[in-house]
Amino acid sequence: MKFTGIERQLNILDYALHSLARRPGRHLSITFIFALVIFLVASFQMVTASLKHSADVLLKTAPEITVQKMVAGRQVMMRVGDMARVGKVFGIKEIYPRVWGYHFAARNGANYTIIGLDPARQRQLPPYLDGVKMPLAPGEAIVGLPLAKLLDLGGRRVFSLARGDLSLKSFRLAGTFPAASDILTGDLLVTNIADARDLLGMKADEITDICVSVANPAEVRTIAGKISRVMPGTRVLTRDQIRKTYQAVFSWRSGFGSICLLTALAAFFILAWDRASGLSAGERRETAILKVLGWQTTDIITLRFWEGGAVATMAFLLGVMAAWLHVTIGAAALFRPVLMGWSVLRPNLELVPVTRVSDFIIVFTFTVLPYLAATVIPAWHSATVPPDAAVR
Amino acid sequence: MYLDSWSIALALINILGLFLILTATSTAVRVLRFWDPDSDAKLQIDLENETWLASTLVQYGLWFQIAALVLLVAAADSFSNVLAGAMCATGSLLANNYGFPLLWLKIAGVFFYGFWILLHRLDIQVETYPLVKVKFAYLLLLLPLLIADSVLEVLYLGKLNPDIITSCCAVVFASGDGGRTLLDRTPVMITPLFYGLAALMALMSLTVNRVFRKNGGGGWPRRTMVCVTGVGWLAFGGVALIAITAVFSSYIYAMPFHHCPFCILKPEYHYIGYLIFASLFVAVFSGIGTVVAQGFAGRDDLREETTRFISRSAMVALVALTVFVTTVTVPMLVYLFRGGE
Repeated sequence: MKFTGIERQLNILDYALHSLARRPGRHLSITFIFALVIFLVASFQMVTASLKHSADVLLKTAPEITVQKMVAGRQVMMRVGDMARVGKVFGIKEIYPRVWGYHFAARNGANYTIIGLDPARQRQLPPYLDGVKMPLAPGEAIVGLPLAKLLDLGGRRVFSLARGDLSLKSFRLAGTFPAASDILTGDLLVTNIADARDLLGMKADEITDICVSVANPAEVRTIAGKISRVMPGTRVLTRDQIRKTYQAVFSWRSGFGSICLLTALAAFFILAWDRASGLSAGERRETAILKVLGWQTTDIITLRFWEGGAVATMAFLLGVMAAWLHVTIGAAALFRPVLMGWSVLRPNLELVPVTRVSDFIIVFTFTVLPYLAATVIPAWHSATVPPDAAVR
Repeated sequence: MYLDSWSIALALINILGLFLILTATSTAVRVLRFWDPDSDAKLQIDLENETWLASTLVQYGLWFQIAALVLLVAAADSFSNVLAGAMCATGSLLANNYGFPLLWLKIAGVFFYGFWILLHRLDIQVETYPLVKVKFAYLLLLLPLLIADSVLEVLYLGKLNPDIITSCCAVVFASGDGGRTLLDRTPVMITPLFYGLAALMALMSLTVNRVFRKNGGGGWPRRTMVCVTGVGWLAFGGVALIAITAVFSSYIYAMPFHHCPFCILKPEYHYIGYLIFASLFVAVFSGIGTVVAQGFAGRDDLREETTRFISRSAMVALVALTVFVTTVTVPMLVYLFRGGE
């Protein structure tokens, strides 16, 4: 009988699957360990992807250009009057002030981020705020969920924070940010600009940033350049720069993590190579009998390839599925500390799993391809058993 | 930018490719030195066994090379998130002088591997393995290619600096004035030229397929026909790449001013680019492959195999060409008849 190329492959695959099914135990351990390794790599990749995604989504609400004043390499306060100088640049839609700073809570050792916004700008805080009446009344604040938990409010809606001179400043809780934005809002308290100044101990006309929104998004970079010319000594940040910095940091961190995982991968591939090299008497017999039956060396190599392919496919599916569950249900408990966080208030993060083909390509390259490369020489070795080995 | 998952993946796949080809090369050296089909010595039997290993390794190498090509394009696309000014793979590849040479080298690599496998297929169909020395001499060429590939890749990734502002595809492929443009002056006649050449290649492939179905009778008319077809395929490959960039891609985006051969690979466009480029490469490869096979048609022991191969290969090229032309034409027709968004 003469088979075409595809029929030949299918027949050999059929044989390979049957022989796997006949002795499921033989490849079970290797499949399991392989799945574990894939699980580690895939989890890492997925966490990074969803972190990048969250950062992207949330940064959409950031101002297009932020202007900060630098003295001796450190950020210092600006005056409300400085905004007029920025306003001279042509092409700007809107300029508004922002006050922010860190508040150290001695009670629990956490740093809260305090942001004070102009009442006119508070309407732009949504899309992730529903049911909060805007603009905020004096003394009202919106806080992130983890922060609200940390404040231990119970049913109360009024809480106080200590000013620098230890006198108390009280706030009324207007609402909380949803869990989905925890990555940015976890430690955040948003309030009116005047209340923020009061809490942070700033003077009445002091501001931290000037935020600029631009009419034509294509002109952002040009306008940013003009602003830095009008106001020398300032740092002008564009949203795109911030976004790319986030992406670069996450890429760097995930790359570093991948390198750490490479050791585990290398160990696994050595194991796989070793396992595939040690021919049992049964395997020698099988190969020899197949050869007596007329199988060619290439057929045996193809058979070993399909066996390896089946093991890899199974392990890949298992590992990727487990990683997906780890990220969605387990909130990536294993890797979160590596990829994010510097404050006690970070932890409560709900990750939105992002399934992108490109991540699977990376996981595949990291795991399946080296596995195939590690088993090819042993596969050839097992295929060179002479036919007469069956009767010896 | 070595510390990015994509960079590490690219490096990994290159190391694997080097490992495979180095192993195969050691076999190649031994075969070239000691191969003697008349001998019964153990060395000869070992060598015969090893040729199977080498051929398997090169087949793996081919698939790894294809994977590396896809990986490079996907990586460049992902780098565009980090590089200032880049919005798709074009910007990332243009971020330094090594990006596009690396891409071309990877594409060339796929073809080089492919031709080796073609030789191997021809060879093993004849009991005496008449092409053993030829194919293993050729195998020695793969190693420098792969080393050049690795060097370029290291240079490209090393020089990739997130601080350098690069261009986005809207600037690079725009047919306007100024700036760095890859397609400075697109010939106006590119669309008719493309379809004319496609029709010509279809006709020629069909003729080659018909003529070579009948065995026997070699001579210069057949040789010339195959060679002309091969040159035609090479020209078609070039024209097709320009046409995809200048004409067809903007119909897929439904944006008249967006010309980019890389954005069509994105999920927003249902990965249609992969089908487009895969069918184009298969068509061009099979087309040029007939010339490679024709090179050995003069040998008595291979005449029958090459004839059969050329006929079949021409058919494959024809089918792939049909798929390719359909895939690029349908979005254009949809756009023209339903109108843009």
